[in-house]
Amino acid sequence: MSALRKGIAASAMETFAGTGAETGARRYRFGPGFIGFSGHFPGNPILPAIVQIRAAVSLAEEEGGKTLRLAAVRSAKFLAPIRPDEDVWIRVRRRVESGVDICDATLSVAGKTVAAFQLELAEGETPR
Amino acid sequence: MAAERLLPHRAPMRLVDTLVSAGDGCAVAESVLPRSAMMADAEGRIDEVAFVELIAQSYAAFKGYTDRMDGKPPGEGFLVGVRRLGITGSAYAGDRLQTSIRTVAAVGGFAVVEGAVTRGDETLASGTLKLWLVDPDADGDDR
Repeated sequence: MSALRKGIAASAMETFAGTGAETGARRYRFGPGFIGFSGHFPGNPILPAIVQIRAAVSLAEEEGGKTLRLAAVRSAKFLAPIRPDEDVWIRVRRRVESGVDICDATLSVAGKTVAAFQLELAEGETPR
Repeated sequence: MAAERLLPHRAPMRLVDTLVSAGDGCAVAESVLPRSAMMADAEGRIDEVAFVELIAQSYAAFKGYTDRMDGKPPGEGFLVGVRRLGITGSAYAGDRLQTSIRTVAAVGGFAVVEGAVTRGDETLASGTLKLWLVDPDADGDDR
């Protein structure tokens, strides 16, 4: 497991069960020492967009109980910056569309949506 | 040119090493991610999300270069959107990755950029990003 994934896992707070096996929600708090803030940016820490996507994929993995890889980002919108020590809610919903495993994810802070993604996920790793 | 002179990102979040070429809205940047990269797992495999950042930082390096050519310090920019970014391969620590970008549109402080990450002849990921370029003379959110 990468240092980034470990850092995300360590930033997880409580989990709320979704309305079905394909959904999940979890609160995260990324502290000032979180590795993703390192160098992004000096004196102006902002949670990198790729950390937000990685956290959503990791939550989907845990909810589904299978290792997943990111196969595509169909769309992603980053609407507001996420700062250290903010409570970030990540919600994921899995569904299959034309045989493709889709994960809809939203991130919110203080009830406001700060990011939304539609991701394509696949089991296992991409062959080298 | 060393990307550190062109980007606000610093280690370990600076993924682009060098801006190889730039001109006419297009650029190529190069990266070799170390085994110690935060996105590398125990086998050295790089998390797929890094491809998004490579394209974003390559554009940022290009923009930083054009700012410097205009006699200005590199400006800030932020990733605000991704569309149809497909991931077709894996990268490993030590791979020499090239990221090519092409500016599709630049309007009202926003840029739409097509990018692709390759290793040799193999395309690992490609897609479209939207970035917001901060106007240093404007008031407002410092995002």
